[in-house]
Amino acid sequence: MGRRRHRVEGVARALPEAIAALSRSLPAGPSPEIFRRAKFDRPEAAPVLWQLLLRVLSPLGANDTLTDLAPEAQARVVKSALDSQGYPRSALVQFPEGSSQRSRELLLALSWLLARGPFLEQLLAQTRVQLGDQLPQCEYEALAIPGPLGPHVETESPMDLRLVEWLMGKLRFRWRRLISSQQEQCTLLSKIHLYTRGCHSQKNLDHLSVAETEMLRDPESSQQLLQALESENVRLGAALEWRQCELVFWQWMDTVLDACLSESPAVTSQPTVLPMVSEHGCGELELVKQELQALQEELREVAEPRRAAWEAQVGGLGQGPEWSTTRRALQEAVRQELAALQGSWEPSSDPTQPQRPHRLVRRKDESPGPQGLQAAEMIRTLSTQEAGLKKALHQLQSQCQQELARLAGALPGLIWIMVPGH
Amino acid sequence: MRSTISRLQVIHSLVFSTGPSLWLGMSIVTVQLGQCGNQIGFEVFDALFRDSHCSQGLCSKRENEAYQASCKERFFREEENGVPVARAVLVDMEPKVINQTLSRAARSGRWTYGQHACFCQRQGSGNNWAYGYSVHGPKHEESIMNLIQKEVEKCDSLSGFFIIMSMAGGTGSGLGAFVTQKLQDQYPSSLKMNQIIWPYGTGEVILQNYNSILTLSHLYRSSDALLIHENDAVHKICARRMNIKQISFRDLNQVLAHQLGSVFQPTYSEDGSFHYRRNPLGDLMEHLVPHPEFKMLSVRNIPQMSENSLAYSTFTWAGLLKHLRQMLISSAKMEEGIDWQVQPPSSGLPPLGKMSAHKDPHFNTSIANLVILRGKDVQSANVEGFKDPALYTSWLEPLHAFSTWKTQRAFGKYEKSAALVSNSQLLVKPLDVIVGKAWNMFASKAYVHQYTKFGIEEEDFLDSFTLLEQVVASYGNL
Repeated sequence: MGRRRHRVEGVARALPEAIAALSRSLPAGPSPEIFRRAKFDRPEAAPVLWQLLLRVLSPLGANDTLTDLAPEAQARVVKSALDSQGYPRSALVQFPEGSSQRSRELLLALSWLLARGPFLEQLLAQTRVQLGDQLPQCEYEALAIPGPLGPHVETESPMDLRLVEWLMGKLRFRWRRLISSQQEQCTLLSKIHLYTRGCHSQKNLDHLSVAETEMLRDPESSQQLLQALESENVRLGAALEWRQCELVFWQWMDTVLDACLSESPAVTSQPTVLPMVSEHGCGELELVKQELQALQEELREVAEPRRAAWEAQVGGLGQGPEWSTTRRALQEAVRQELAALQGSWEPSSDPTQPQRPHRLVRRKDESPGPQGLQAAEMIRTLSTQEAGLKKALHQLQSQCQQELARLAGALPGLIWIMVPGH
Repeated sequence: MRSTISRLQVIHSLVFSTGPSLWLGMSIVTVQLGQCGNQIGFEVFDALFRDSHCSQGLCSKRENEAYQASCKERFFREEENGVPVARAVLVDMEPKVINQTLSRAARSGRWTYGQHACFCQRQGSGNNWAYGYSVHGPKHEESIMNLIQKEVEKCDSLSGFFIIMSMAGGTGSGLGAFVTQKLQDQYPSSLKMNQIIWPYGTGEVILQNYNSILTLSHLYRSSDALLIHENDAVHKICARRMNIKQISFRDLNQVLAHQLGSVFQPTYSEDGSFHYRRNPLGDLMEHLVPHPEFKMLSVRNIPQMSENSLAYSTFTWAGLLKHLRQMLISSAKMEEGIDWQVQPPSSGLPPLGKMSAHKDPHFNTSIANLVILRGKDVQSANVEGFKDPALYTSWLEPLHAFSTWKTQRAFGKYEKSAALVSNSQLLVKPLDVIVGKAWNMFASKAYVHQYTKFGIEEEDFLDSFTLLEQVVASYGNL
């Protein structure tokens, strides 16, 4: 009896500590009290949680660029971000915008994000303090979600196509300006690297980065850098603490989920994704394997009758010796296409793909060292990727053109004039 | 460590004193094509230079220096002897005009053209668009693009290109269309604005209409913006506003250069700060020409009187802006003789997609406008009149259709001046006239062999007509 109470007390102490550690590791994490209130769906917890979700889900949110959005707009961004990540609970998405509601649902959403994968680690990686120069990154990982663009237009009323084209044009201009400014950045980086040759204390680096140059030029900025490093340290420490004691949080989240289900059993959802604690890894794999088998079965079922029909149609054609060259050519073409398809489906686990940020270093000699990566190789990889993407774009474009041609053909007597330059 | 610090002091002076080109802004490389392009190009650089070194300024010394530095970085570069060099490439098929241009620049002593910035041939080859496009272009492509590349490499950061050319001339226009296309291929992420000289309505060149439609249609496909300067309009300004008796091309070109200068000289950047805008070309294009069907821009400025008459006049912002607005609405070419009867459609906006039945046919509907204000008390200028939704087409709100640039620093000797760059129906009628005339000629196949013999087929003509009819229709349906 006493032992159980002691255990309960131990848990009671461990939970706020776990939540506190979690909140210290998140950017602008809320207090444990907010978490508790959210369990009971209290309205005062909601705005804080909306803000937090906005911050962690949108890459723009990290820079405070979205804080001056109206609460409804913020809610919209969060919902669309969750939706695009595949959030299964419809309760959050279905209900009308309201920033003082659904705090319990928000808590569930946050936990879902944390449970899915290395979410916290990704967040921490995003805000790493970098001392060296990085390649200008154009891509974010899974956290990349389009934020709200300029004017909000209601889609219920008819929109003039010209406005859409106008906005697309603006977007294109901004892309071009982005590329120009990246080129500019590269030129200037190159200059700084050239000018600061021989200045670095580490021989293998040889020249300074922008941050280092700035530090030496202006002692104020080194203070700021120090502060940034210290706060990053705090967050990392908190994250480690969290990993030690997170189990108690998940047990508590089970109770939150129970509370939710008991209150509104009518709100059904997809089977909730299990928290990815490592012991459950095999279970997931089993699920995936079963799905794959089912898909293969389906494919076979569809393919067989088609093949039979085709063979019936073709009859004895293509069997004789005079067809051998053609057949060989066809097989080769098919093999190449399959290889290309496979290549485009392969996850980018290419060894030359940087798994973590690399520092840009300008060097006279050829060898990049054990951890390093030559620019030429990187360029090659990116060029192959570019070629693949261009090919995919070309394919999609020709599909569109075929569709357009079909539509045009369906209306006799109509002449289509394509807009120039598209 | 000590050697590191001393080396850093050297770097500091090297990088961070020449380095502020970083925030001075991005550069524009100008390609001057043909007689027209070269003569105008000279006046443009001269106007920009004279304005940036104008002592009158009406602002603090420090601000004047910032203005000067910003203009300089955009259009000029430094050479060893300290004389600014225009960021320009001069191209012509005969040497006469280029030599004149070079010597005028050198004589002024204020600024100059680059030593190896010219491309010209021994003799011209007649006024033939097709020859310029299909023969001169490919033949001299490498040399010309190399020159441009060299100029581009001397920019810390490139915003884009000006291409100054006439529309109706022969070799210059054809070559200009060709060069613009090559710039599109080689510098896809850089912006391109063609400064196009629209010929006199009663021009003397028989083939000017053919040349015009070929030029326009080709540029529409490969350029981002077509800023059109009408000879007729500029001529009127010279005659009526400036009281010039014998109007020479030089007078016309100077008025034109003044207009361009009042658009592209430095202005404060958007956030109301006192830093100068880094990339006016980019900002302008984003505001005015994002739609691929609507690329034609006009420029109007006020006051239009010559600098010498200024001493006897004072202006208010309210007066200037009122006139400028009416010039826009009534498609006036100049400040005088404005039709004040034309008014925007009165009751609200027409429903989406429907033309307003009570719209005055003389009323000029705008898609987007940019007003640039320079001078004293500019912050007090009230531009609300330009934000009237009735001025604009129904599918774009004034919030997105209208923008203003400002600077306290006066332009030249004009204590207050305003310029308007407009994407509106101002050019539809002139364009329609030219297309009509060209079509009439084409229908009887007059002179077409002059083009077909150098590779411009009838089908190219038809494509051009189709494209331009589409442009006229699109602008007409606003």
